[in-house]
Amino acid sequence: MSETLLKVEGLEAGYGEVQVLWGVSLAAVRGHLTAIVGANGAGKTTTLRAIAGTIAPWRGRILFEGDDVTRLSTHEKAERGFALVPEGRQLFTTMTVAENLELGAFPKRAARAYAERLDQVFTLFPRLAERQRQLAGTLSGGEQQMVAIARGLMSNPDILIIDEMSLGLAPVLVYQLFQTLKKLKDVGLTILLVEQNVHLALAVSDYAYVIAEGKLFTEGRPAELSAMPEIRRAYLGL
Amino acid sequence: MLGILASIIDGVLVGLVYGLAAMGLTLIWGVMDVVNLSHGPVIVAGMFGLYLLTSALGISPYLALPPVLIGGFFAGVLLYWIAVHRMVGKPPLMSLLSTFAVNLVLVGLGTAVWGTALFNVEVSVPGVSLGRYTFPGPHIVASLMAALIAYALYFFLHHSRTGKAVRAVANNREAAELVGIPTTRVLALTVGCSLAIACVSGMLIGTLFPFTVLSGDSYLLKSFVVTVLGGFGNPLGALFAGVALGVLEGAVAPFVPISWTLVIEFGLFVLALIAFPGGLFSLRRGAL
Ligand SMILES: Nc1ncnc2c1ncn2[C@@H]1O[C@H](COP(=O)(O)OP(=O)(O)OP(=O)(O)O)[C@@H](O)[C@H]1O
Ligand SMILES: [Mg+2]
Repeated sequence: MSETLLKVEGLEAGYGEVQVLWGVSLAAVRGHLTAIVGANGAGKTTTLRAIAGTIAPWRGRILFEGDDVTRLSTHEKAERGFALVPEGRQLFTTMTVAENLELGAFPKRAARAYAERLDQVFTLFPRLAERQRQLAGTLSGGEQQMVAIARGLMSNPDILIIDEMSLGLAPVLVYQLFQTLKKLKDVGLTILLVEQNVHLALAVSDYAYVIAEGKLFTEGRPAELSAMPEIRRAYLGL
Repeated sequence: MLGILASIIDGVLVGLVYGLAAMGLTLIWGVMDVVNLSHGPVIVAGMFGLYLLTSALGISPYLALPPVLIGGFFAGVLLYWIAVHRMVGKPPLMSLLSTFAVNLVLVGLGTAVWGTALFNVEVSVPGVSLGRYTFPGPHIVASLMAALIAYALYFFLHHSRTGKAVRAVANNREAAELVGIPTTRVLALTVGCSLAIACVSGMLIGTLFPFTVLSGDSYLLKSFVVTVLGGFGNPLGALFAGVALGVLEGAVAPFVPISWTLVIEFGLFVLALIAFPGGLFSLRRGAL
């Protein structure tokens, strides 16, 4: 039943001469929400970048549906079904909301169900339907985050990878967005989530990984992790 | 009085062609932050394309447009892989040097083949008379074609899937990759479009004025002025600024010797740069 969609084995990566990741291994099960947590600078964003291909992995393998996709370029991975909602949103700020969504559906795999997808996204984020003609760069932070997630969904992805969804957003909105993720998961989407807020991450995920200093510190079901004394002390402030 | 009005109208006509030439330069700048210093010889290549096609095949000058457009496109894709690809995202000096090297090679080749003789392509289109003044037919046709191609570029960038991908890459290349756009291919295509436009503008200029292998520099400089006035990287602004430059040339032409127009143009250019560092016609920043 629990089929692994994405598998990362011994991932090493860095910037220039500086190695950041020292052998990270993790797996995302189809239809599950998998969380990655860790302190600032632990290497969470770097892990996601290496998975999505915006930086090249130095060593290790990335398997997707059993195929080795380590060396595929970022746009090829998008075509395969990866969607990364990057840290800092990275919207097309000088283009309209509608154009951002349309570009989200750039992969050929997204062309078939375009109208359906757009409906779905506007049902999830009614606010965006009203703001279609507005330039993305002029939206509020929360609205921009909605566009970022919606743009990721427009590609009809197999796996939605989100970096720091809650950063800088009001608690109400964070709560709403997590409700949205739950709904998406219920219709079968696989989600890999990096989250600052460890309480929240453990509350919504099916499985979680803790990264520290570029290595896997521990992993487990949320209940197991929140029972561990070192996690309670270092990440949950208990 | 009527004379000045007439030279202003003629300035608009010629200015549209300048604007088109500058659109080629500004497109590359807007999408990949590269100033293409081989822009001048590329314009000249369009002029000689016109010359060769009309003298060898004896076709009407305006029929040279499609082959010049297509040839320019492929030359642009080639230029991308030779001189631009590895320079994108690097310090600007590197792409300045690599495209300047291409400039020197092209000018060297041109002078070796044709020397620096003056070439002239005969174009016979009846003019349009307005009272005492007659607007030259070639000016009218060239400006209409320039406006049409400028509009086609605008339409492409704003209403086609590929054009939107070009704008997305200009705005945020990493995000463009993330949504599945093959950005390297988009950059090559952009340089292709840029050179196609530059070559066609050269071809159109060739129907207006005589030219030599060395004409490129003054049109590169004009394109610079227009690009800066139009707000870096904004094709539509470049078109408007081109018209402004043409009008300026037309307006001063009756009063000063022709050799002074460049001095006046660049004097105003420096003033404009000081007064409006963001460009005179920048509708909004990064409007591409
Ligand atoms: N572009 C870069 N160039 C050089 N070093 C970088 C770059 N991006 C990140 N780093 C370094 O890599 C390490 C890991 O950064 P990363 O962004 O992966 O951390 P993170 O876990 O996502 O942190 P945060 O929770 O603050 O987002 C940090 O020490 C950071 O300084
Ligand atoms: Mg991060």
